[in-house]
Amino acid sequence: MDRTLSSLPVSEHVARASWWRRAAAWVDLHGRREGWLAFILMRVTGIGLVFYLFLHLTVLSTLARGRQAWDAFIALARSPLFVAFDAVLIFGMLYHGLNGLRVILLGLGVGSRRQAVLFWGAFVLSIVLTAVAVRMILMMG
Amino acid sequence: MWIWQALSGILLTVLLVVHMVANHFVVEGGLRTYEDVIHYLSNPFIFALETAFLIVVTSHALMGVRAIILDLGISPAADRRLKAVLVALGAVIVAYAVWLTGSVVLRA
Ligand code: HEM
Repeated sequence: MDRTLSSLPVSEHVARASWWRRAAAWVDLHGRREGWLAFILMRVTGIGLVFYLFLHLTVLSTLARGRQAWDAFIALARSPLFVAFDAVLIFGMLYHGLNGLRVILLGLGVGSRRQAVLFWGAFVLSIVLTAVAVRMILMMG
Repeated sequence: MWIWQALSGILLTVLLVVHMVANHFVVEGGLRTYEDVIHYLSNPFIFALETAFLIVVTSHALMGVRAIILDLGISPAADRRLKAVLVALGAVIVAYAVWLTGSVVLRA
């Protein structure tokens, strides 16, 4: 995915590049930095979402315990701490989903040269949509 | 492997958005009352949709867990055991959740 100079086989590397370009490639984080950040965030949000899925299905068992148990849970879900937790969750869903679509495009060979832009697009859009969602929650609750 | 992560990911984009909209966005106050949950799940189309979401999200999540563990580098034998464990775990999760939503519908 990351077509940095240093990812080329050594022979090609030597054949193609002047020494200063080879040296520059060592400190050139361009295209690598975003790829790395995108990957780490993808992994962290993926693991977080798996934990949330377990938590969600466990919490929903209150439905089996009847109306009072459910009402108590809903009251808890409206507390400020829970809304803060919602914000983290919503950001995780948005980033993982949007970056997942980016990874799929890149896997299909689409947009490789724009991978960094696509990452920042997914990241910023996730933040903006999280803010919109939190505003909606605060206005509803 | 990756192709299933990608395909289920695309399906999830649709199913997760539908799930969030149907359960929160269009609900007054954002969270359903007990009666409303029963009413919502009693719709056979909704029940099928939520069950489809459940199966796809559980598969995607557990395949993702396997991908992460494979990245740590494990033997083919360990991977076979891992797969067996994850398939069993997935079956338990889906069975539990369908039991839960099914028992909710039976209260209608
Ligand atoms: C909203 C739509 C979603 C899309 C489009 C999506 C897409 C993807 C893709 C393409 C990958 C592979 C990443 C790679 O190979 O680098 C992935 C990994 C993963 N996904 Fe999702 N996903 C979505 C939702 C979810 C949800 C809801 C969960 C958890 C319940 C989840 C859990 C995981 C896990 C644990 C991984 C492995 C993480 C990794 O390889 O770094 N995903 N997802």
